[in-house]
Amino acid sequence: MNSPTAAASPGDSTPHAGTAMPAPGTKRRGTLRTLFANRTLLLMCLPAIVFFLIFSYLPMPGLYLAFVKYNYSDGIFKSPFVGWDNFRFLVITGDLWRLTFNTIAYNVMFILLGNALQIAVAILLNELRNKWFKKISQSLMFLPYFISFVLIGLIAYNILSYDYGLLNGFLKMIGADPVKTYSNPHLWPFIIVVTYLWQSTGYGSIIYFAAVMGLDSEIVEAAEIDGANAIQRIRYIVLPWLKPTFIILLLFSLGGVLRGNFGLFFNLVGANNSALYATTDIIETYVFRSLMTNFNFPMGSAVSLYQSVFGFCVVLSANWLVKRMSPDNSLF
Amino acid sequence: MSAPRTAIRVDGATLLVRTIGYGFIGAFALICLLPFLLVVGTSLTSESSIARHGFNLWPRVFSTFAYKIVFENPDLIIGSYWVTIGITVVGTAVGLFIVAMTGYALQRPDFHYRNRISFFIYFTTLFTGGLVPYFLLINQYLALKDNYLAVLLPGLLSPFLIIMMKSFVRSIPHAITESAKIDGAGDFTIFLRLILPMTTPALATIGLFIAIGYWNEWYNAMLFLSPDMKYRTLQLFLYGVVTSADFVKNSSAASNVDLRDLPLESMKMATAVVATGPVILLYPFVQRFFIKGITVGAVKG
Amino acid sequence: MNKVKKLGAIVPVLTLAAGLAACSGGNGKEASPSAGGKSAEATAKASSSAASSQAAGAADTSKFVKVSYVILGDKPKNGQFDAALAEINKLMKQKINAELEWKWVEWADWQTKYNLLLASGDPVDLITIGTDWLDTWGNAQRGAFMNIDDLLPKYAPVTWSSIPQEDWAESKYKGKIVLIPENAYTQWVNHGFFYRGDWAKEAGISEPVKDWDGIEQYLQYIKDNKKNVIPWDATAGVSTFGGWVNSYTQELELPISTGWLPVFATKSVDDPYTVVSPIFDEDTMLNYATKMKSWADKGFWREDVLNYKGDTRTLLKGGMTGLDQHHTQTFGTLRVDMDREQPGSELQMYPFARTNGNLLELSITHGGTSVGAHSKNPERALMAYDLIRNDEQIYRLLNYGIEGVQYEIKDGKRVLPAGYDPKKNEFYSDFWGGRNDKLEIPSSTVWDQLPTTLYAEYDKIKHPYPYGQFVFDKTPVDTELTAISQVTGEMGPSIAFGKAGDPAKAVEAFKTKLKAAGYDKVKAELQKQLDAYKQQMQG
Repeated sequence: MNSPTAAASPGDSTPHAGTAMPAPGTKRRGTLRTLFANRTLLLMCLPAIVFFLIFSYLPMPGLYLAFVKYNYSDGIFKSPFVGWDNFRFLVITGDLWRLTFNTIAYNVMFILLGNALQIAVAILLNELRNKWFKKISQSLMFLPYFISFVLIGLIAYNILSYDYGLLNGFLKMIGADPVKTYSNPHLWPFIIVVTYLWQSTGYGSIIYFAAVMGLDSEIVEAAEIDGANAIQRIRYIVLPWLKPTFIILLLFSLGGVLRGNFGLFFNLVGANNSALYATTDIIETYVFRSLMTNFNFPMGSAVSLYQSVFGFCVVLSANWLVKRMSPDNSLF
Repeated sequence: MSAPRTAIRVDGATLLVRTIGYGFIGAFALICLLPFLLVVGTSLTSESSIARHGFNLWPRVFSTFAYKIVFENPDLIIGSYWVTIGITVVGTAVGLFIVAMTGYALQRPDFHYRNRISFFIYFTTLFTGGLVPYFLLINQYLALKDNYLAVLLPGLLSPFLIIMMKSFVRSIPHAITESAKIDGAGDFTIFLRLILPMTTPALATIGLFIAIGYWNEWYNAMLFLSPDMKYRTLQLFLYGVVTSADFVKNSSAASNVDLRDLPLESMKMATAVVATGPVILLYPFVQRFFIKGITVGAVKG
Repeated sequence: MNKVKKLGAIVPVLTLAAGLAACSGGNGKEASPSAGGKSAEATAKASSSAASSQAAGAADTSKFVKVSYVILGDKPKNGQFDAALAEINKLMKQKINAELEWKWVEWADWQTKYNLLLASGDPVDLITIGTDWLDTWGNAQRGAFMNIDDLLPKYAPVTWSSIPQEDWAESKYKGKIVLIPENAYTQWVNHGFFYRGDWAKEAGISEPVKDWDGIEQYLQYIKDNKKNVIPWDATAGVSTFGGWVNSYTQELELPISTGWLPVFATKSVDDPYTVVSPIFDEDTMLNYATKMKSWADKGFWREDVLNYKGDTRTLLKGGMTGLDQHHTQTFGTLRVDMDREQPGSELQMYPFARTNGNLLELSITHGGTSVGAHSKNPERALMAYDLIRNDEQIYRLLNYGIEGVQYEIKDGKRVLPAGYDPKKNEFYSDFWGGRNDKLEIPSSTVWDQLPTTLYAEYDKIKHPYPYGQFVFDKTPVDTELTAISQVTGEMGPSIAFGKAGDPAKAVEAFKTKLKAAGYDKVKAELQKQLDAYKQQMQG
């Protein structure tokens, strides 16, 4: 095996001699030649391409469902076209703006705080020396990911309930006034974000941890020999190294910026407590209340399409920005 | 494992970082543990005690009744375990291989179609056909009804993991590929012999994610595996235990079902413990692959 | 941020939503089918099997086929159902050369599964329906079921002739029969409060409670005298507004779902074609909101009732709460349970209808069976149904299991055999698609005084169900109805549990939102269709 001599630095984007640069000539010939030159790599992508063709692209024309009055006997494409009718229930009560705002605001909080915390955990874990401590703490941080939202909702009620909750029990013990958590909407953004962070940080930090592990130890050692302390190391080597990972995660989550985490909201806030809706109602919970009694597939598709188109626009703009600033990190 | 650096003297800033590290990580791990203890404790508490006193870390009235109900049909739960393990192992192995291969190809700067294919893959996270066409596809066109493949196949790949892999592999200098090419190695050989061994932490991470996805799978199983199949996935089995009890208690729909003493809350907790247990054991195992040194640095020698 | 998006990406929001609908069940409005009431009058032998095998002879049964029947419920795991089904299939094979397949739609996410089966055009043969809880008319509108007018007389002759024409008239969509009603089975699913007779006596209530004030007196007594008992440990899934309307007006409930609580009703038995609204007309809603606010302030339920997810019925059985709310069939079995769990509790039911004598008979299409639009063997499916419903041997095998294992008959009642092991021998089939009083045997698990008490009371005040043939075409107002459902779901629970602040203001805000959601348009459409229905019924 040959030992390569060039050392890579984070975010390195050395221009490589194109093995497959399209040769000048007629366009058609060029295309064929490019195809041929890339054949192995293309073949390597083939299983994935086939997979997504079948499982994602084949059902995609079904989005048309959002525009028809669905008749089960006729099938989706023979059902009568009704234009934007299936979207109307979203706008008719004038709540769409509030829902869109809430959904985006929560997702932005989740993305920013979530990634910050995950990065912090990954970096700190990397700095620790005690093997057992690392192993055990990492395993423990993984636990919440396996507790279903239904249970999280139950646990939260047991902590926050007014008459019997652990929190108020504690407050009464120290002589403070009990809090009416379930009738105070202002507390809920905090509760929801904290629960989200609690649940997802361990799981999410794995990605960053693996990325930190992939960091070239020679560079780190060189920096240490040069007298860099831990803070400097983190600041100048580790953080920049994690930037591409962060950007990719960011772009991915932006696509779903209008998709809410139904399980989290539904189980924490419940389907009945309108006192909290001002700060906790998101698109999913709203749609749930709308459609739980009449199971209307086209209206469900309409909502999904709205979320998709919105996410698509956000991602396109974000990707364009990333491409301008740091082309190597863009998604496509 | 991380020996090389411990020899260097520890300066103030490093000490500070470590102190914060131990404190913060330790506290956070504890916060994650406590609710889980609550779950374990409650799963061992008698139902009437839960109704009266709420949840407790330590059971006031000890009872293993919930576990008895969950394990009422040991044959079924063991069967479901095996099904889930089988699907998880096969799916993770196959999925991981494809993800790694695709990820590698897509990060090759000299791959002409990489942006187009990346977009092709990423696009599927934004737009989906919806439930009805998806159900038709699997149930009728692919005819995978009551077939474990209906659970296995859709879980193989996800755009997210492929793009993650792409970004991980990027940390391996392209020069390695280049020089191997000069030696006459083909793209696939380079991937298999050179790249794969160097990406263990990435593979471990992505494998873990795929495995967890399969482990938690119940939705596809619910849609496509009918109750006529004796063994279905573990999560579907557990989900069924909880929701049916939940539904039935709220209606008289099945008043012939004897639910007199159903330990509802404790049963929910017990199912969580049963479902989580093995994964807790799995994680430390995966951790072994997060070892510095196998990766890029080692190759360079 | 969803990391692994496989599911999130594939499944539209609708499914996620529906996934939890099952958990939030117990919505007072969606009355569930009840397998409880086994109030057969006699066990007269139906000499039907001969007739149906005759018909079978006329039909071509040379080719062996499988007939699937979709029902709701969890498949029993002890194999007892399969044993009984095997017995049934021996008979099926012999009589009509077919095999019955029992397709269970489990409670886990059942709405998704049930509706997907229909929406995806799955070739189901027979399927359980219910116009009030499975959106059967909506599904008929979407073309989910086959018209069976022509097939019935030939392939299900016993069923065809045993169901009177006026009942068939209630099974038609656009003039065509799309379902077979469960019209020959006695059950009452009208709602009411269940309270403890012993505590009521202590509270000085000697007569049966006849209005909400009586219940209030009872709850207040518990609040003042029973330590550690929450008078009514309710959960917010319970919607009682319909009950209030039932008690304090003569208005009739319409077979149209507006979500969490009913927004539309009709005037009275004497004028069942004029649309009114218990929310907008008079002060019904305001009175209700005020009463519930006062109950909340008196502490009859938890401060956090809207988020509480406990199980009221279990608590009642454990003596930790004093009130529960559900329908008469539930009461029938709960009374037996309570006599065992809380001896001397003398559980009583106050049916909401008692106050004003405002009681309609149950719609006969609360349960029933349809043939799927894409069924491959509708003829044989109907032949199988005819046997299930009318053949005594098959009927008992399907509903009770194997005699001697699952049940014994003693003094005309079904009892458990001596060696019965609840785990090993438990049996149920969840067949709610055409039970038949003629073939029913009363069971020892249902309160035996039901017929002499509540049923007798109901018989005195009941009125015939006026909307059996009324099928509301939702299409013109689908959007508005959906929006209204959202509004009732959003504001209904907090008003119903006195958590919406000043009742007058809350009710006003509620009205404003309903107006914005299209209340007037729906009301006009409803009136238009009811006018046409009136013509049809009177003309």
